[in-house]
Amino acid sequence: MKVRDFLRRELTSLERSTTVSQAIKLLENSGLSSLPVVDEEGKVVGVLSERDLIRALLPGYMDMLHSASFLPSLDQLARRLREIGDQPTERYMTKEVVAVTPDDSDLHVADLMLRKGLKQIPVVDAQGRLIGVVRRIDLLSRL
Amino acid sequence: MILTVTLNPALDKFYWLDYLPEDLRPSEEGITIRATKSLTSAGGKGINVSMLLAAHGIDTVAMGFLAGHTGQIILRDVLERGVSASFVWIEGENRTNVALIIRGHEYHPIHIHEEGPSVPPQALELFLRKYERMLRRATYVVLAGVLPPGVPVDFYKELARKAKDQNIPVVLHTGGEAMLRALAEQPFLVKPDVRETLRLGDMPLRTKEEVIAAGRKVVAQGASLCLISHHLTGDILVSKEAVWHFEAKVPLSAFRKLVGADDALVAGILVGLSQGKDLIESVKYGMAAAVASAEAEEKLCLDQGKIQAELARVEVRSYESP
Repeated sequence: MKVRDFLRRELTSLERSTTVSQAIKLLENSGLSSLPVVDEEGKVVGVLSERDLIRALLPGYMDMLHSASFLPSLDQLARRLREIGDQPTERYMTKEVVAVTPDDSDLHVADLMLRKGLKQIPVVDAQGRLIGVVRRIDLLSRL
Repeated sequence: MILTVTLNPALDKFYWLDYLPEDLRPSEEGITIRATKSLTSAGGKGINVSMLLAAHGIDTVAMGFLAGHTGQIILRDVLERGVSASFVWIEGENRTNVALIIRGHEYHPIHIHEEGPSVPPQALELFLRKYERMLRRATYVVLAGVLPPGVPVDFYKELARKAKDQNIPVVLHTGGEAMLRALAEQPFLVKPDVRETLRLGDMPLRTKEEVIAAGRKVVAQGASLCLISHHLTGDILVSKEAVWHFEAKVPLSAFRKLVGADDALVAGILVGLSQGKDLIESVKYGMAAAVASAEAEEKLCLDQGKIQAELARVEVRSYESP
């Protein structure tokens, strides 16, 4: 099966300048776990995931501790969100974009998701422009 | 790719009733009306057009504003029908439009339309940036439906101008002042929404002659073509050079409802043009799509076989040049 047969044709995306607060709202509305970031031509230049946002909210030492049990409360995260809420998405997005094309196979997508631990992958055309996304559930529901 | 703009999407809710109580005045007991059947579908004129295009395998992107729980349902339905979705999310709740279809009066439904959420200026700016990005991929742009609160009345004019600057033909499928203002941007085709007023600007549309005169005025103001419904089974197409009358030879008793039929007409025309048919054959296909939708239980007939079957019942007549 090709990606074109099961992709979700959702073009909800962020711009580099979209603020972190706006991005969180858009993630909530779209129901997606990450959103592609596009340039003026609609080309995908990054991806902002829930994971990217959580990493941005956690204090630096969390990278070493690998556990949230050291956090005294979530107040610290809320304070941090107020600090970075107006900052641009570009600052926190993943710039090394993993994307697929409509002609790629379902097996290729599954392989990428497993190897790279991705919940969702943008689908782009030959010019690198966003034409949809593939979620893990899109694959699972067609098995 | 055909880009459709529905600034005020809706969740369409249809209820089929065996009858409507004669006395609907408030009473102590209240009034309960039982539906024999119901149907829910994402709607708004542009979204309807996109749905029919997608059913024909034509690449189409729907744009507009979504809000709240209703917006989630609209988005899901749009995506499930193979339409690409590029909406801007705003606060509030998208509207739900209710149509009561009463047995024996299928072509005179009772509509209850909500106003829709208010669009803030920042959302309009974001929409315009997304629209400009999408224009790079578009072969046609369809600007369709009513404006939601917060959107300036000359917004369609601005969208039409941006498309014209990129040499992309615009189909204007709306009514009122927003449509009249956009005429200056020379749209390719205007399909005025005159359901509520039976007027186009200050011009009445009761007779064939009045419809032709109104169409000529729209063309004189900048449109290449103007298509106006003359009656339930007839449409008149006016260009600078000629006038054509399209008539579907179908008994009104075959119609189950009319909601969405004019959107099927516009979509069918674009299907024809996209498949390389000439203008007249494309409008005939649009008429066939409209008739097939009016005869269907679903909001739109997406079955190409049924649309093709209706083609033989569509007749076209050319009038003398103006």
